[in-house]
Amino acid sequence: LSSGINAEWPLRPGEEFNTYLKNKTLRRPSYVIVTKTVAVLRELVVSSTWHHPTDLIRILKLYARYLPLKQSNETVVSNIVRRVLKIVREECSPTEGNAGLSVFFKKDSPKSSVETGDQNELKENICAGIEELEREVENSKNSIIKMALEHITDEVILTYGYSITVRDFLLHGHRKRNFRLVVCESGPSLKGHQMARECAEGGLDTTLIADSAAFAMIHIVNKIIIGTHTIMADGALRALNGTHQLALAAKHYAVPVIVCAALYKLSPTHLCSYDHDAFNKVIGPEMMVPFRNANLHSRVLVSNPEFDYVPGDLVELYITNIGGHAPSYFYRIVSELYHFKDFDLDSETSHDDT
Amino acid sequence: MENFIKHIKFFISERNPEDNQKDMKDGIMEECDRYFKESIYLAAEAISELATKRIEDGDTILIFNRSQLVVKILLDAHNAGKKFRVMVTDSRPDLRGILACERLTAAGIPVSYIYINSVTYAMTEVTKVLLAAEALLANGYVIGPVGTGMISLVANTYNIPVIVCCETYKFSERVQTDSILFNELADPCDILSNVRSDVAWQNHPNLHLVNLVFDATPPKFISIVITEVAELPCSSAPVILRKQLNTCY
Repeated sequence: LSSGINAEWPLRPGEEFNTYLKNKTLRRPSYVIVTKTVAVLRELVVSSTWHHPTDLIRILKLYARYLPLKQSNETVVSNIVRRVLKIVREECSPTEGNAGLSVFFKKDSPKSSVETGDQNELKENICAGIEELEREVENSKNSIIKMALEHITDEVILTYGYSITVRDFLLHGHRKRNFRLVVCESGPSLKGHQMARECAEGGLDTTLIADSAAFAMIHIVNKIIIGTHTIMADGALRALNGTHQLALAAKHYAVPVIVCAALYKLSPTHLCSYDHDAFNKVIGPEMMVPFRNANLHSRVLVSNPEFDYVPGDLVELYITNIGGHAPSYFYRIVSELYHFKDFDLDSETSHDDT
Repeated sequence: MENFIKHIKFFISERNPEDNQKDMKDGIMEECDRYFKESIYLAAEAISELATKRIEDGDTILIFNRSQLVVKILLDAHNAGKKFRVMVTDSRPDLRGILACERLTAAGIPVSYIYINSVTYAMTEVTKVLLAAEALLANGYVIGPVGTGMISLVANTYNIPVIVCCETYKFSERVQTDSILFNELADPCDILSNVRSDVAWQNHPNLHLVNLVFDATPPKFISIVITEVAELPCSSAPVILRKQLNTCY
């Protein structure tokens, strides 16, 4: 720990969050994790002792290394940490980094709070930034589902896996449009069952099919609307197991694939190897072969990867809370949302922050 | 089935109508036995011999569900001393791949087991895909258990050869371009079987369950079809049909 920082962060909420992330038995939608992360980081900013924004940046990065990010595989947590770091860096030096159109509006800006040395004002500004982030996260789903009527008509829509955003998107579209929904059961986790249930209960005409039938059914489908776990920096997806082959089948039949995801899922990372070494996680095989067939487990290698890499050119459109985008545009959004020094949160060489 | 009936009808029409009933019956039974022996059992042996030549040491072969013909080919290749690995792909609601796993591990072949959704993940390691067909149509489409189309598509994307094994009695004059217009529906409740959840929502009026049995795979995804008379591309299916027609009429 370098000098100048009092490294006592508010341990209680930080520790609680750590335990929460480590607990794999809870079913957690991304939205819930994001709101918790924002709350914990805000607490951290308010209660820890720091004198200069660079100290705060160091504290936040230390906290990010303390969290079990790789273990829990929740990329939204790292994304929110990066957003907050960006907010702090903007307080640090407002005109550094991306010279966007904001430069034209900031010509007569008052002297930055860093220069006046007023720590309270700094804290207030950072907290205001975090509150804005909180509001953006809260409204992200609503911003996405409002666009439903622009993208759904009377047709047959296929969906895969379970996503609250996609479910509400479809239910919102159902108010005025008359379409039929086909849901793949998305084994072996069978998340599609929950999706089919909630959509049927919401009034949609839902058909549940097995995943192997997706290729057979896809030629009568007009579009595919899916959610995702993470959006990669090049517009690719890290989505539920089985999404890649669905996207390939869609390309063969020229069916557009539309992804509904909020921007807190956008991660400035890329796929490094087609073997999915660091990209994918293999989870327990009991979903596929129950443990009572232990005989089989001991002689057969059972693989159950959790994620799938879908290249950006297989996706037609992304619907995010700031509007619709083509996959090729995400490099720009990444550079606007995150600071390049925060792309790698694990790095040990984070002493050259300023 | 259709082909067998045509064959028998033709055989009956060729017989001398003055034969007595017993001779006629014996003749037909003999012909049936001969047909089974040649077209089904011996055909399987011939296909296995041809397919075994295609399997090399160090291969990783992907198979789908449980097919007696494919498992037989793999066992024969293993007995012939070839060293390879098998990846068994399975799909709900049948989950018959587990049976294939058991048969193959009993013979000592190293086996991996994946779910059909993970084929793209596994395809980087696969060298060949070996599939069995339920029928081969006159326009080259292969009818197989549902999921075959998906696997062939992914294999084609990764440039992995797809080998389909099909006896000639499965060739059909029908033509089809999709899997919906002519298919079989199995019990829809099978989709929801083995699922640990409460049953109330399963009877919701808005929810429909569709359990397709077959799947039509376009010929461009298939590299080669191995039959007992020849190894041919999918588009040559009408040639075999014409040969069969010639022997019939």
